[in-house]
Amino acid sequence: MAINHLHAFLESYFSAHHCELLHDTNGVLTVQLTEEMDRALMNRPFYWHYIKKMGHPGDPKQLTLITDPEKRDGKHEWIHYGSPRVHQIISHLHTNEKYTKLFEHVDTDHKTALFPWLVTNIKISYQGKQKMDEMISIGLHLVNGIMKLEMMDELQHKTIKNTIPDYCYTISPMIKLHSGFKRIEKVLENYVLDQNHEWAEASRQTMEEEINLLRHFYKGETAEQDMKKEIDEIKKRYSPYITFKVINGGIFYLKDEAK
Amino acid sequence: MNQIDIQQDSMFINGFEERLNTEGPFSSWDLFMMNYQAALTTMAPSFNGLKALDYLPQMDFLDHQLSCARQVVEDMNGRAILADEVGLGKTIEAGLILKEYMLRGLVKKALIIVPASLVNQWAQELNEKFYIPAVTFRKSYPWDQYDVIITSMDTAKRSPHREQILEQDYDFLLVDEAHKLKNHKTKNFNFVKSLKKTYCLLLTATPVQNRLVEIFNLVSILKPGHLGDYDSFLEQYGKDRKKLKQDGYLKQLIQKVMIRNTRQNAKFDAIKRNIETIWIDFAEEERAVYSQLENAVDVFPAFSKITLLRELCSSREACYLSLQKMITDEPREKIIKPITEAIEELPQHTKAAKVVDLINQAGGEKVIVFTEYRATQVYLQWYLKENGITSVPYRGGFKKGKKDWMKQLFEHHAQVLIATEAGGEGINLQFCNHLINYDLPWNPMRLEQRIGRIHRYGQANDVHIYNVAIRGTVEEHIMTLLYEKINLFEQVIGHLDSILAELNINDIESEIQTIFSESASTGEAKIKLDNLSSVIQLTHEETQQEEQQYGN
Repeated sequence: MAINHLHAFLESYFSAHHCELLHDTNGVLTVQLTEEMDRALMNRPFYWHYIKKMGHPGDPKQLTLITDPEKRDGKHEWIHYGSPRVHQIISHLHTNEKYTKLFEHVDTDHKTALFPWLVTNIKISYQGKQKMDEMISIGLHLVNGIMKLEMMDELQHKTIKNTIPDYCYTISPMIKLHSGFKRIEKVLENYVLDQNHEWAEASRQTMEEEINLLRHFYKGETAEQDMKKEIDEIKKRYSPYITFKVINGGIFYLKDEAK
Repeated sequence: MNQIDIQQDSMFINGFEERLNTEGPFSSWDLFMMNYQAALTTMAPSFNGLKALDYLPQMDFLDHQLSCARQVVEDMNGRAILADEVGLGKTIEAGLILKEYMLRGLVKKALIIVPASLVNQWAQELNEKFYIPAVTFRKSYPWDQYDVIITSMDTAKRSPHREQILEQDYDFLLVDEAHKLKNHKTKNFNFVKSLKKTYCLLLTATPVQNRLVEIFNLVSILKPGHLGDYDSFLEQYGKDRKKLKQDGYLKQLIQKVMIRNTRQNAKFDAIKRNIETIWIDFAEEERAVYSQLENAVDVFPAFSKITLLRELCSSREACYLSLQKMITDEPREKIIKPITEAIEELPQHTKAAKVVDLINQAGGEKVIVFTEYRATQVYLQWYLKENGITSVPYRGGFKKGKKDWMKQLFEHHAQVLIATEAGGEGINLQFCNHLINYDLPWNPMRLEQRIGRIHRYGQANDVHIYNVAIRGTVEEHIMTLLYEKINLFEQVIGHLDSILAELNINDIESEIQTIFSESASTGEAKIKLDNLSSVIQLTHEETQQEEQQYGN
């Protein structure tokens, strides 16, 4: 599900933010920003501050992005995975698109129950000598406690909206939010602890080797302070640890599959 | 199995609960999914490999730069000496490594210490080539305000900066021109050693200049104890650099913390060096003054006479000024006065006229002229102007801003840059591919620095180097006996540092000066000089294979 096509990704990003796509051909995209998006991306807080003070509505900019390097013209911004603009858009997404509450769209003319799922996308980082990330998308049925992995892939095939569809009603959760999240954490914890942690062992071993070398280096010297600082640095660099970071999550009301 | 520390994320669920309480705002499905996709795209799914490459499509890395970055990240765990020869792109390697760590979320706070003259250049390269938001240190910025700061050693080690910097916890520290840290008793060394840092890169083209203990000291910053403790190291290897050759074990250890690419193994030779020696003859009047000076034995110590002769080969002005300074009493004045008077009578310098020819032959392309003497620099600037050629001066003594400005002027407006020796270090002028050595430095290392300004990473064309020498003068001896004999321009460049260290020659310049001053006749000096170059050449042949192993 990673971004395979930057151009399409940008189209959806700006469309989702209600920006009109003025010009959209292969490799070149011009959008009319909204005020909200101009504030988010164009880095001109003073303009907005003064224009509002003067009672003007303000004039959001247009933005032209070139996604195909062949189409570069020297005037407009070439955008690629490493460019500061993508970085900006991604951090804009990370800050703003963290929480949600959504409903599966069911086309029905009789009463249908929608069940609450707690869905979280969690990035697990394994850090030893080097670092590696893994993404887990996990869903918990807040009534019967069933869990599902690769939840995002499954949701992708459904129609999902912000509002509850006609004739549908929601079932109240049996499992509270916090304890539901605890269950998810517990499962992930077991998942990582069950793994083979050669990387961590290797890192620990290097750490010990370096600390031993260090003691040898300082042997007979009275530079207690220096040695402690060096040891701290080695520990900081090599002590293996794992972090969980929730990228985003929310409550999804879904139709029961079994029925 | 040891327990591994797991850090949970408690922020999310609390934030979510709050959001539910306030009934939103909630992300739309599209944006929610896009955030997930973005996170999938930016994560690093394996311990190995360079993720940064996906993010730098505009960069065209050379093979040795890629393997260097990989090795530092994967095998050296982020602490290394980058010791490529001048011009192979150490900055590029360092930038790539820093980028990789930042992308993997391992580095946030970085301190980059570089020579004052290079601060702006580093900032520009990191920002433009790597999209790393590095700022140069300004007085009004507190040290904890910005994540990636570039500064000079002089600023960093001065109070109150020193204290503030020592309080920071840096994820990444980089020191350029790190051979300045080779002595563990200096303030610079102790300052760098006491910085709190996780990853650390030391950049130098000359990791061992004289004694092996220099590399011991550099390694002590990165990995104390890797080469044992100080006393036993000194005892075992201290004085003698040859030990490196004999001791395969030591070499292996060093290779674990140091990467050295040479022009040879970096396949850098795609760009050719065209080297041409331009022989010229003094005009009759000039020759007369030269002999007059050469034969005036009594007044000058031999040492300064050789300098005066070299100066006369460079410009009337350089020699004249030095002579003026020597008139301290009447007997001296008696001897010097006739010479200075003769100099005053001289026409324009033959060499300067030749240089104008050479510049005109370059057909409007940019040319760098290197001279050893300030007075010559001023004279040349005037003389080129007389001949309708635009030029800008460049000196080591210029302030940072002025250096940048001069470089800009040269790139966009002037045809010629006239640099004195001190200007050799640091500036990158790969947009220029003609270099005139107006006079040759006696230390061939400095010549390497000079050529490295244009024959470096980023140079797209073959480079043309012209060495101008006057027949029948001291310049001829140096040119034929030293430079040409050891084939310096083609071969030895890049190896000379190790060769000289091998021979225990600390300062080749004073070595040569001694040869001239202690020889009774020109003939004797010639023979000694010849011997010196023979030894250098022999050592070069011996070390050539060794260098291959010493590198990667």
